[in-house]
Amino acid sequence: MFCYISGSTIFLIGGIVAIFFNEKLKAKIFLAFAVVSQFFILPESLQVLSSGIQSESSFIFNQPIGTVHFRLDPLSSVFSIIISIGSLLAAVYSVGYMKMYKRKKAALNSYYFFLGLLSSSMLLLTAVQNAILFIMLWELMSIASFFLVIFENEKEEVLKAGIYYLTAMQISAAFLIAAFSWASAVSGSADFLSFRNILNNSSPAGILLFILFFIGFGTKAGFVPMHTWLPKAHPAAPSGVSALMSGVMIKTGIYGILRILLLTGIPNKNLAYGVLILSIVTGVLGVMNAIAQHDLKKLLAYHSIENIGIIGIGIGVAMLGAAYNNKIIAALGLLGALLHTINHFTFKSVLFYGAGIIYYGTHTREIDKLGGLGKYLPKTSVLFLIASLAITGLPVFNGFISEFIIYLGISKSFFVKDIGLNIAALLGISGLAFIGSMAFLCFTKVYGISFLGLPRSEFPSSIDEKESSMLLPMILLTAAMLCIGLFPLLIIKPLMKVVDQFPGSGLNFLQQDIFDIFIPISVSLTIFVGAVLFFYSLRSLLLKNKEVKVFKTWDCGYRAETETASRMQYTSSSFAQPFLTLVAELVPRKIKLIKEQIFFPKEASFESHAHDISESYFIQPSIRLLNKFLNLFSWIQSGKMQQYIIYGLIFLIFLLIWILGVE
Amino acid sequence: MLKFFIYILIALSTFLFLGIISRIKALWAGRKGASVLQPYYDFFKLLKKDEVISRTASFVFRISPSINIAAVLFALTIVPLPFLGSLIKFPGDFILFTYTLGLAKFFTVCAALDTGSSFEGMGASREVTFSSIVEPAFFVILGTLALITGELSFQSIFAAINTSTGYTILIKVLFVVSLFIMLLTEGSRVPVDDPNTHLELTMIHEVMILDYSGPDLAFILYSSGLKMVIFSMLIAALLIPPSINLFTALGLFFMIIALIFIGIAAVESLIARSRMSHIPQFIFLMTALSITAFAVILFFLYGGF
Repeated sequence: MFCYISGSTIFLIGGIVAIFFNEKLKAKIFLAFAVVSQFFILPESLQVLSSGIQSESSFIFNQPIGTVHFRLDPLSSVFSIIISIGSLLAAVYSVGYMKMYKRKKAALNSYYFFLGLLSSSMLLLTAVQNAILFIMLWELMSIASFFLVIFENEKEEVLKAGIYYLTAMQISAAFLIAAFSWASAVSGSADFLSFRNILNNSSPAGILLFILFFIGFGTKAGFVPMHTWLPKAHPAAPSGVSALMSGVMIKTGIYGILRILLLTGIPNKNLAYGVLILSIVTGVLGVMNAIAQHDLKKLLAYHSIENIGIIGIGIGVAMLGAAYNNKIIAALGLLGALLHTINHFTFKSVLFYGAGIIYYGTHTREIDKLGGLGKYLPKTSVLFLIASLAITGLPVFNGFISEFIIYLGISKSFFVKDIGLNIAALLGISGLAFIGSMAFLCFTKVYGISFLGLPRSEFPSSIDEKESSMLLPMILLTAAMLCIGLFPLLIIKPLMKVVDQFPGSGLNFLQQDIFDIFIPISVSLTIFVGAVLFFYSLRSLLLKNKEVKVFKTWDCGYRAETETASRMQYTSSSFAQPFLTLVAELVPRKIKLIKEQIFFPKEASFESHAHDISESYFIQPSIRLLNKFLNLFSWIQSGKMQQYIIYGLIFLIFLLIWILGVE
Repeated sequence: MLKFFIYILIALSTFLFLGIISRIKALWAGRKGASVLQPYYDFFKLLKKDEVISRTASFVFRISPSINIAAVLFALTIVPLPFLGSLIKFPGDFILFTYTLGLAKFFTVCAALDTGSSFEGMGASREVTFSSIVEPAFFVILGTLALITGELSFQSIFAAINTSTGYTILIKVLFVVSLFIMLLTEGSRVPVDDPNTHLELTMIHEVMILDYSGPDLAFILYSSGLKMVIFSMLIAALLIPPSINLFTALGLFFMIIALIFIGIAAVESLIARSRMSHIPQFIFLMTALSITAFAVILFFLYGGF
């Protein structure tokens, strides 16, 4: 345990040491520390995960913290492995990416410091099991990531996004503080294990406490309607940070929910239904909004919300399984949720890194200004395509495996004879399919519009992908995607240890089932890959002695100049338009259209902006309501000096009375 | 052994079924029409031809036909034959089935965008829009089948549904209609799309493959034909009665598939393609029918009958 804790702090030390070196060395120094810390963290986490035995140690702090238990159980180690590797990859990526900002010396100092602080706080967070220390680390994590988000704080937009993010995180923390202090007050101890008794029974208090925790953690994870900070904060941050935040940091919310679920044991049925329905809504709204976006990183941020929805569906299924006393359903739901958490880390990081390479080369995130990037960035193009396939859940990549497990969990709920569960299962299975097919639409759009076709604007001549430190993390993660996709048992086996921890689920029942399913999948997918290669070589063979003419695209006889041809292409807005008209009520768009005049046409323009309904129907009205309420107290701060002197006087009188009274 | 033989037979007879469609359409229109074997001649001719590839196209365009043909053949091995079962079978195989076909579609759509043609972009955009509403409905059907039979693989589901009795007749009718709608949508046939020409009338699938030629086009024609056969196999598998012998069942199976293709030809001869804006309503009919089927099942299971 000591090894793990010291390994966690190495990131922070690296951030501090990096301050004393010049701009060229900073990134490498930080990277060196990040590499060293892996040797401390990974062996211990892997050990816990493979043996299933938790590693524990306790420290005695001064009051009011008291005794603090650090426990690294299989659940914690899954997350700590993701965090550790994610932070390392972010450090590698920053070596290349931050060259863009080499003139911003002061900002770079704070960048590495807060990157180290963020990684360290997240790593410790997964191991600490004391409410007070947990909240402190939670706040440190939020603040560190806030400073990373506002890296380019000279832009007003970025600063605004950062403050919005910080506010959202404080709301999350407020719910968590309320929940933790309530739980500690009732149980008389700040140790997580002592919360069991309150969460465990289905009394109104236990349910309310679970809801408080869920709102707190769910805000971090990005559940609808508390997700609105993601599409603002992710685009504002530098890409390495976006990848770390989206791939790793929001998972601490999922970790929190799972931790509470672990303490809860058998959840209440209604809560389980609630989590499932909320997750389906999260997934559907997340991806629908993604389809409407033109900003590459904003789009990816909405996809994080979608994937949190999918993970949530897994958790919901697990809770339903436990509530209905069906251990297999519970185990499958949990397994799916955990695996999807890992998978989302892999492909979302690659996508954000890819977006970073695009931004590095073109200085734009507008999808409608891209196009034909495959010619300029061939390696990125392949890696981005693979990540797109994986996030859409298509075989032979890892996204398919986790979605498959969740589908399987839902399908097994059809076998339980209970009308509520059957209807929930139908909602789940069709919801997941709907989410999947919309993600399909969205990623054909992203990949097709930005990497294929013709360039829609002129790119800077400096565009290239020579920076190997930016490609390396992508290559490693892509290899992992393929590996999990083809040989899922490699990762399912260690995850079984985590699932075994949960009282409502037992994978022992499932062992044989899992082998019966995943061995055929591995074999058949390998055959499938073989078949693709076979047909591709057959094609090459057929074309061997023939002429393959490279000619212009068939344009139906329209003789266009190259320039107009590129402008006539479908754009991301036109590609998504037929679908968006179908769901116009859920994703309202403001369209500004200036048509050309009939004679002497001068100007014509088209603009469309999508609105997030949770922003306009939930967040904004709540802010207005809150403002109204707080305005009632605005007289306290009137700006009149006399009034403030009276406050001082009143305070002194109170103090006098109190002291006299005590005496 | 017999199983392998029949799968190969189905894979080989794809173009025959396509030939049936065009022959019947010709007869219906009062023409003599080409031989039912014409698609085979076209196929082999295309295999021998040179290719023209767009200057804009990248590796996606080149690899897409191979992925398509591999994916569709792979999906074929998951769909069961009556009594004989399927080649690949495990609980949840229908998910792999749907997602492998999805992979093929992903590449078709991307290959269309790869050419940078606005017309192909249009087809791609429509394809993804319609498939985004077809897929959930298909999963409603699969979920309902799982609820009725208590099974999670195509083979066991179809084996179980044909032995159960009573209300399943109503359910089967609903499913056959909605799967037929899915077949028309996925196969891009009238009223969703008109496969007759490459331009003017055709708005979805044929548009996306406009730039293909030679062996690549042959691969694509084969895979889109086989995809229709696969969906008609699903419909046929629902309709095989349980208490007959193997060879009658297989004969019946092929007869039903042929009938479905005659049905497609009939639809195509009788009605015109719908307006693009009306197609979602047509697909929502499938959703409505499948949800009705689910509601009926719930009613029978919990309604006290």
